[in-house]
Amino acid sequence: MSKVKLTMDGRTVEADAGATILEVARSVGIEIPTLCHHPELKPFGSCFLCVVEVKGRPNLLPSCATPVADGMEIQTRSDNVRGARKMCLELLLSDHMGDCLGPCMAECPCHVDIPGFLAHLRSGDFASAEALIKQTLPLPASLGRVCPRPCEGACRRQIVDAPVAICNLKRFAVDPALGTDKAYRPVVAPATGKSVGVVGAGPAGLACAYFARMKGHAVTVYEMHDRPGGMIRWGIPAFRLPREVIDDEVAVLEKMGVEIRYRTAIGRDIQFGDLVKRHDALFLGIGAQRASRLGCEGEDLPEVLSALDFLHDASAGTRSTIGRRVMVVGGGNTAIDASRTSLRLGAEKVFILYRRSRQEMPAFDYEVHEAEEEGVEIQILSAPVKVEKAGGHLRVLCIRMELGEPDASGRRRPVPLKGSEYAIEVENVVAAIGQGVDASCLGPDGPRLTRWGTPEVSMRTMQTSIPTVFSGGDAVLGPDIAVRAAAHGRLAAVSIDQLLRGQPVTGDPAVYNATMGSWKEMPRDVFEHVDPKDRAKMGLITMEERRTSFSEVESGLSREAGIEEAGRCLACGCRSVNDCKIRKLTEEYGVDPRRFEGAHRDYTVDDSHPDVLLEPGKCILCGICVRLCDEVLHTPALGFVKRGFDSRIAPPLRKTLAQVHFDGIMKLVDACPTGALTLKRAPVPTYSVAPGAGSK
Amino acid sequence: MSASPVKEVIVGLGSCGIASGARKTWNALERALGSTGAKANLGITGCVGMCYLEPLVEVVHEDGSRFLYRKVNEKRAEQIVTEHVCGGKPVQKLVVDLGAEGSEDHAYMAKQRRIVLRNCGGIDPEDIEDYIAVGGYRAIRRSIEEGPEWVVSEIKASGLRGRGGAGFPTGTKWDLARRSAGTPKYVVCNADEGDPGAFMDRSTIEGDPHSVLEGMMICGFTVGATEGIIYCRAEYPLALKRLRIAIEQATGRGLLDAPLTPDGFSFHVKVKEGAGAFVCGEETALMQSVMGQRGMPKFRPPYPAQAGLWGKPTNINNVETFANVPWIIIEGAKAFASLGTEKSKGSKVFALAGRIKRGGLVEVPMGITIGEIVNDVGGGTVGKGRRLKAVQMGGPSGGCIPDSLFDTRIDYDEVTRTGAIMGSGGLVVMDDTSCMVDIARFFLDFTQKESCGKCTFCRIGTKRMLEILTRICDGEGRMEDIDLLQDLAYRIKTTSLCGLGQTAPNPVLTTIKYFRAEYETHIRDHKCLAGRCSRLTTFHITGECPGCMACLKACPTKCITGKKKEVHVIDQGKCIKCGVCRDVCKYDTVAVV
Repeated sequence: MSKVKLTMDGRTVEADAGATILEVARSVGIEIPTLCHHPELKPFGSCFLCVVEVKGRPNLLPSCATPVADGMEIQTRSDNVRGARKMCLELLLSDHMGDCLGPCMAECPCHVDIPGFLAHLRSGDFASAEALIKQTLPLPASLGRVCPRPCEGACRRQIVDAPVAICNLKRFAVDPALGTDKAYRPVVAPATGKSVGVVGAGPAGLACAYFARMKGHAVTVYEMHDRPGGMIRWGIPAFRLPREVIDDEVAVLEKMGVEIRYRTAIGRDIQFGDLVKRHDALFLGIGAQRASRLGCEGEDLPEVLSALDFLHDASAGTRSTIGRRVMVVGGGNTAIDASRTSLRLGAEKVFILYRRSRQEMPAFDYEVHEAEEEGVEIQILSAPVKVEKAGGHLRVLCIRMELGEPDASGRRRPVPLKGSEYAIEVENVVAAIGQGVDASCLGPDGPRLTRWGTPEVSMRTMQTSIPTVFSGGDAVLGPDIAVRAAAHGRLAAVSIDQLLRGQPVTGDPAVYNATMGSWKEMPRDVFEHVDPKDRAKMGLITMEERRTSFSEVESGLSREAGIEEAGRCLACGCRSVNDCKIRKLTEEYGVDPRRFEGAHRDYTVDDSHPDVLLEPGKCILCGICVRLCDEVLHTPALGFVKRGFDSRIAPPLRKTLAQVHFDGIMKLVDACPTGALTLKRAPVPTYSVAPGAGSK
Repeated sequence: MSASPVKEVIVGLGSCGIASGARKTWNALERALGSTGAKANLGITGCVGMCYLEPLVEVVHEDGSRFLYRKVNEKRAEQIVTEHVCGGKPVQKLVVDLGAEGSEDHAYMAKQRRIVLRNCGGIDPEDIEDYIAVGGYRAIRRSIEEGPEWVVSEIKASGLRGRGGAGFPTGTKWDLARRSAGTPKYVVCNADEGDPGAFMDRSTIEGDPHSVLEGMMICGFTVGATEGIIYCRAEYPLALKRLRIAIEQATGRGLLDAPLTPDGFSFHVKVKEGAGAFVCGEETALMQSVMGQRGMPKFRPPYPAQAGLWGKPTNINNVETFANVPWIIIEGAKAFASLGTEKSKGSKVFALAGRIKRGGLVEVPMGITIGEIVNDVGGGTVGKGRRLKAVQMGGPSGGCIPDSLFDTRIDYDEVTRTGAIMGSGGLVVMDDTSCMVDIARFFLDFTQKESCGKCTFCRIGTKRMLEILTRICDGEGRMEDIDLLQDLAYRIKTTSLCGLGQTAPNPVLTTIKYFRAEYETHIRDHKCLAGRCSRLTTFHITGECPGCMACLKACPTKCITGKKKEVHVIDQGKCIKCGVCRDVCKYDTVAVV
């Protein structure tokens, strides 16, 4: 075989005449991405991802098919080449109909593998379900009780009937092992010798501690109260989230070796500067704990309570009574929790005063419903104007409101109606109208703050203006939901780990997530074959118990009901998500998947084969399956049909995949570069699960 | 007046003639001749190229004098039989006088140089004897006498380049096939002619099929191929019919399927019909189709001359290329090379169409300017007040050349430098009522539908470009779209597998290059000043309207009001922007605002 001499990316290379550019590149360690190339097949020329630039040729050449020649000057990474590869991927993604992740998983701030854990529940494997959940979330039993479940809002099942009860099922999956030795506990990596300080044992801080500890760093959490949990303990009453649940989950972290120092408040018991010196990295999960004031005369009267203090004291057990009549001001979950807590502390009449209408109330619908069931009255379009002492109680002067033009938040602004004043007499007023962040505890050496007084962070890494200091959760977002705080904590742990290993701090790798759109936009007939089935109902304790005790109101799902409910999941998401070539390349080439939005090709999913699923919407027309059938397996089972943009891969003569079944179909599934051909029984979970520590 | 009796009446029965009603003319002539008992024969011929005058009828006297009649409908057919054939007096006002200097028809033919079309309109394509009588099948004999190397050197010296559009030197291609090892070798004639509006190959086959057969035979002898395949699109039933008749007649005459040389060289020709795919005009896709596979292009190398059909050396040429060959062999390479420019020799057939006064099939020497073709041969634009704007050359693979560049000569390289391509010969003329954005959209719509779907950039990229262009024509364009189009277009051009993808962006690129202002007006002002994009057009009758009521009568929605001698008014609420009012207006008072 004669040799030729050429240059590739500036390097001089000797190669066999007749070898392709791709073969030569690989032999000298130069990486060229391919999609339609297959070692057993002749070069085809469909994807055009492997193009390179050759001096003297105006067009880019596919390296998989172009033979080298003497004197060739090849560029495999020039701007021109990268631009072409980027556009190639963008074009392919513009007509790619699939979901990498189920919409539930994509919507979840922590990206819990919901289709994955539901699949485990379907087969009764609680241990695997729990282990999978805990790859992304350390407190599933707690969050499975209080999370507002954004996942369910995205669940495609509601095209058929109602969303899957994902949140209830998360609790269902982890409750059996909760507090026992069987609870999943991740293995901790060998000690790195680095130390991480976490301020606040709320969901953000605990998540950061959990993931940082997993990486082998020494973690110390500084918590100002005497028990862990942060806002989910002190702001959410026990009848929604029992204290033991929080304690049992936090115990797992302590078993992992996380140290928690209680009654240690930053700014009071320990200074920010000391913490920075003591630890290699610091996470600030200080929350949004400053209650907004009522803003009217009389707000400082002792009978006017801040909801946060009220709920804290009820939770800590330092308050066990409340006045006979209680007015709670506000419309969010805190107001609902305060009202229901008041009932349980013995109030005879509890009502909520909210200045806008019901539609604008931020509290969750089911919370409002449960409160009203228990007897809380909700008065809308009203606000207090003045609180004054009158006899042994309070007289609150209120005014009625009407809704005017929308304000900055987009909600209609309440406008007082002149002359509509009226008075209400109560024993206590509880103000639950909002919370803010108080970063003064960080002192003058703290990180730079935004104009709202929150630590300024990069949302990609959670890093503050001080490179070794990170923050997240309510401290950064203002009062928000726990699952988002946990997501911030995890992301901060990723960034902290990068920092401590001397790597660039970049946070999570950007991963492309294809989606077929929201369930509202999708055509209804996609799930025509699904029979409707009622969503499992959460068990509730009796109304008597609800009104008089702090026992947990929601009692959980029975084993049968839970497994059946898990069966309602439609398993959205792609089984090839972890080895899809396109997904891996999108980050490397800075692909903008929305650059070429337009029409999609027509296709139908071929579900006929018992083992293999053919989803032509994800096909990139690389032709590997057709060529394998033709050149290697010698069967006409698959071919190209139609022309141009509507081209698809299908069995010929309108047959189904089941009708052309042949030996060797597995070879096609393995070779498919995307998720167009997948094995039906392939596991749905997307994350690999490390085995747990301790007992099984 | 001629004393010599009429020998023959010949009707132009090419597809264009038939489309103009020539069959009815034939039938009328048949009846008239029969009923008058005239002794003249009724014959047929192909397209002479003066399509603007079809149906054409030629009356030939015994003494050889000929009279060509224009636009012969049934009434005129009867008149000709009565007055000329029987009465001996030609109907002067209907006669096409090509010799009259200053006449339209003279101008049409004067600058032409008909080599490929030498026999079209002059012989009966369904009679091999006619072909032989004008010197047919002498060239193959000469080639056999002189030998294959001589043929190669003659073709090379002639400078003949592939007429399908790419312009590859034919002599070099034949030489390559000749030197390649393998047997049997194949000669393929590409008669797919997919460009919309192109009919050069069709007319050649319909008018002179034997010239193509003879060209293929010479090629076969030269490269050593015994098998010839004509890949003709199924949408040309008349051409297919005439080819099959020609093959049958040639076989009957011992020219095909019979030894022509002492060592037994014989040539077999078969016809393979296409199945409705523009992409199968691309040679590798064409070969796939011949072999019974899906018509998707393949990588080159290997080139067909080295390994084509069934892996054997295959020479593929266009119809026009083959039709040139017998002439070159007889008249000589020098004669051919004396026409044209330094790098582009000989003549080229063009299908002249669009907003042109005299449209039809013309064959002009290379080196003539675009302006000469459009203005001298074609007579300029049609309609009062209309202004020439551009020509589209090369069909959907070509580009627009603005009138400012009409001194560009017909030469492969000069044309390519403007951004267009020579192409197979489509030449569409555009005036100020043509919207360049719509033209780009029209051609892109075609190529997008015809994409085979194999490679990413062509399959998806052309679709996205079309979506953007459609949005622009619908008034929903964004200013970034122009850059996005160019970015897409450039990449599709340089990163596609075959010529379809590599040239599909040309109309977009050239219209943006030369007519960017029209894109901007569509996007920024939501206006189409040519009046084509209906959502962006408003027609308005100006104050100069003399009130002739022509538009009123022609309007399909009756949305124009006005009395005689009054300025007419369009009801914008009912107007569907069809533009018929502007088309029929003789006073140029319908404006686009």
